[in-house]
Amino acid sequence: MPLAPSRITGYNAPVPPVSQTIRVKVLFFGRLKELSGHAEDSIEFADATTIEELFALYAARHPELAKFRSSVVASRNQEFAAWDTRLRSGDEVAFLPPVSGG
Amino acid sequence: MATLPHNDIYQLVREPIDMAALARHVRAPEDGAIVPFDGFVRNQSHNRPTLYLDYEAYESMALAKMREIGAQLHEKYRIHRVAIVHRLGRLEIGETSVFIAVSAPHRAAAFDACRFAIDTLKRTVPVWKKEYFEDGAVWADGELPPAPAVTPRAKTAS
Repeated sequence: MPLAPSRITGYNAPVPPVSQTIRVKVLFFGRLKELSGHAEDSIEFADATTIEELFALYAARHPELAKFRSSVVASRNQEFAAWDTRLRSGDEVAFLPPVSGG
Repeated sequence: MATLPHNDIYQLVREPIDMAALARHVRAPEDGAIVPFDGFVRNQSHNRPTLYLDYEAYESMALAKMREIGAQLHEKYRIHRVAIVHRLGRLEIGETSVFIAVSAPHRAAAFDACRFAIDTLKRTVPVWKKEYFEDGAVWADGELPPAPAVTPRAKTAS
């Protein structure tokens, strides 16, 4: 994931360019909660990130998670979301295993 | 009890579900039928005796999805009121985990709506159950909810 600022603000900029920080809340449920070791996390990015990239970050830390990628659905702010969804600061992302209510 | 425009009830609870009270709630003089669905804990899973189940939910989203189901019912069927209640936490064999009641002037709509509600709930509401056996526990096989494959262009641009 690129950490460099996404744009340069100017030649003689009085203040060094600061990339916008994106902070999101991440939730894990069911088996994914056990594999990731937590139910809830908060994470910051220096640059635009998709849900797919967010999952990859956790999968790198917890390789067991990667095995379940094909049976995970993601949500953003309580709505099912596509993996290419770009995150915005303040978003709540959840990784959901197949649901088994009822 | 929290009610919505149609006087519906959508709840997640940790105590036993009072089915009679919910059936009374959806029943009105202009109705002719109520179809209830009582889903309860089975004593075995794939021929292994079950000890008990433990349910968890993504509560805010589960409630939102339950309300969405209710809205769909009112759109699709000529029904009067809906109650959908799911219980969470540890449930023993025979205890009700989900209860749905739909009232309508005529029975066909109530049957169809109730069936649609439980089928949709099982596919789209983020609730999970862990099954406990003598020799361990497993997360129950579930259904993968339908999610958008890619973000629609209009949304990415916004």
